[in-house]
Amino acid sequence: MRTTRRRRLAALAAAAAVATLLAACSSAAPENSSSPDGVKGKKITVWFPGTNQTEIDLVEKTIVPQFEKKTGATVDVAYYDWGDLSTKLNAAFAAGTAPDVFGHGPAAVADFVTNDRLEPLTRYVAAMPKKDREDLASALPGGQVGGVQYLMPLSMQGTSLVYRAADFTAAGLDPDNPPTTWEGVYKAAEKLTKRDASGKITHSGLLLPSQATGRQQTFAALIMSAGGSQVSTDMTKATFDSAKGVKAMNFFTKVYNGSDAVAAGLGSDYSDAPANQQPLVLGTASIAMQTADKTMQMIEANPDLDLRVMTPPKFEGAKKGYGLGGAGSGLMINADSTHKNLDWTFIKYMISAKVNAQYTEGIGKIPARTSAIKTDYVKGSPILSAFVKIGSDMRPNPNVPGWVQIRDTMDKYIEQGLHQQLPAEDALSQAADEANKILKANG
Amino acid sequence: MTATATSPGVAAAAAPGTIQGARPPRAGKPKRRWTRTSIWGLLFTLPAALYVLIFHVIPVIYGFVLSFTKYSPLSRSGPEPIGLKNYTTLLSDPDFGNALLVTGRYVLQVLPITVIIALALALLVNRPFRGVGLFRSALYIPHIVSLTAVSMIWLWMYSHNGLINDVFAFFGLPDQSWLLNKGAALNAASAMRIWKALGSNMVLLLAGLQSIPKELYEATRVDGANRWQSFLYVTIPGIRPMLVYVVAMDIIYLAQGFAEIFVLTQGGPLGSTTTVNYLIYTQAFQYNQFGSASAMAFVLFAFIVGFSLLSIRGLMGRQK
Repeated sequence: MRTTRRRRLAALAAAAAVATLLAACSSAAPENSSSPDGVKGKKITVWFPGTNQTEIDLVEKTIVPQFEKKTGATVDVAYYDWGDLSTKLNAAFAAGTAPDVFGHGPAAVADFVTNDRLEPLTRYVAAMPKKDREDLASALPGGQVGGVQYLMPLSMQGTSLVYRAADFTAAGLDPDNPPTTWEGVYKAAEKLTKRDASGKITHSGLLLPSQATGRQQTFAALIMSAGGSQVSTDMTKATFDSAKGVKAMNFFTKVYNGSDAVAAGLGSDYSDAPANQQPLVLGTASIAMQTADKTMQMIEANPDLDLRVMTPPKFEGAKKGYGLGGAGSGLMINADSTHKNLDWTFIKYMISAKVNAQYTEGIGKIPARTSAIKTDYVKGSPILSAFVKIGSDMRPNPNVPGWVQIRDTMDKYIEQGLHQQLPAEDALSQAADEANKILKANG
Repeated sequence: MTATATSPGVAAAAAPGTIQGARPPRAGKPKRRWTRTSIWGLLFTLPAALYVLIFHVIPVIYGFVLSFTKYSPLSRSGPEPIGLKNYTTLLSDPDFGNALLVTGRYVLQVLPITVIIALALALLVNRPFRGVGLFRSALYIPHIVSLTAVSMIWLWMYSHNGLINDVFAFFGLPDQSWLLNKGAALNAASAMRIWKALGSNMVLLLAGLQSIPKELYEATRVDGANRWQSFLYVTIPGIRPMLVYVVAMDIIYLAQGFAEIFVLTQGGPLGSTTTVNYLIYTQAFQYNQFGSASAMAFVLFAFIVGFSLLSIRGLMGRQK
């Protein structure tokens, strides 16, 4: 009796061991990438950046259930506050528990690539229909490092000059024909600026972001519009200390300093203020550099406000004006993920025309696809339409390893230039020296 | 506990005041005897000991080891030993030098004011008057609220359209850029920190004041001492241990100032509020350079120890 029970137990244990082995083998085996059913029954973890409740509801209640129903796969979604995201990801990578798919901004991509943490997506993108690739053409470069695609942007981002049409009319300027050069913008701003009896600016003609990080972003737009660049084409050398860089820096400094200044509040962060606290809403500024989503929030909160978007101006003598933008946050695949086929299927689903339109509309962002201009969401918003229209004039910051440190270094010296503690030439040259060291250290 | 239930060592330690030599010393190492009580005692203290070991001691040791390496948590190769390079780099790093100076200035301008006002408030609330409980509670509330939340409120108060500029406008004074001016930003952060630290310091000093025997004051009065003399010769010596504790704890907290800086100024303008802890944060979590961030952390540790010892010496030295 006892022997029989032992035998049964032994048989059960052996069967369990075989089943476990088989299960382990099946999960470790590569998925059949050609089979659409290769993803069925599989499970992946996806981390999204940001804790926007609208986005969470949309993704968890609509998009992911639709995907799971369609594929038979399971997607575990988690959201992390932007401020904590890098820390959480770093800890997860160090511990070997990083998610299969995760989202981040383009500025973070190069560091992940340098540390061999990302799956190259070029072959997946190449396998997409040509029509899709063309539709995503404005967004894709922002997710590339050294020409290789690593991040698939879910939305576009961009900043441009936004202005109050009523102020233009009141100052005798034509709101339908805004300036097309930075010199023209400055002249318009001089007319729009108001001062009190002591000469102190009470109403800024032109506001450019001058807070931490915002300074570098403003400078990037200005130098690109002057025909310059921030790093060399091979991404090995800082080039922002050029004559064009000095021109951009001097312009930026002139906006906030001296008797001809057209802006008040150097260093103040107006960009991130709530919609109803924005200078354009409060009427304390006439032109301000702003993002598409913040501008839309302003209009949403004040439907009667006539705000218009300028095409990014250029400096006289330059070929074209550019705004800082391009790819917004997007999704990447962990190089160690064991379900890359499912990972890509999920990303592909997120950037499909229908879902991407649904997603960007839900979170109030610019769609990643150019064809989205035909959607009711874009057509219904003059601001969004204007930003989509100038999408091809947006250029991202360079995707180089150590970019965050380079950006902060530039920011530090640009701040010294703006406060006139250093002449533009010295500020940029010292920043370039440090940036070159960082570029060298990061290989 | 009986003597038979404990080991000889424990018995000796548990009996202060016993006459040395009353029991003949045993030759050689005393034999450890595990009793039921000592095993239970060990079991009860084990979780706490493990907690301290795992979450306090090991991370500190690991951090110290990391300070001699180049390490990015994203790297697959793990920490690479580089000897003292992180420390030698810090010596020539102007940003780190500036951060140390800012941290020192921050401690020096918050600490004395906080302690003096807290002591004055403690003296005030040490006497009975109507509503004293409410007054004490009101002063203690800032200590309970999270520093980040408090900083957010002060950020609004200091903003262009904030409360402080509104008060200035009411009195016909021009508005100020409290957090955007290099000369004002650290002072603005300090003012917030003084307000935040007052409550806890006051309560601790109040506890110190209440531990002073009333007879001492009566004796000084009989001896003809005035109020200032009894404050100087009774109150101050009486609260000195608590004062030392308050000063040491304040130095430790202030020298690690981060949340208020992160919320109010992000280290600006022009690095005028970049504390060492803020620099450590950017180094570790923005640039993924955990090795140099750890080195900074240990230099800050030495800075805090030095600062605290100096203050404690100063306070205790006077007692001698």
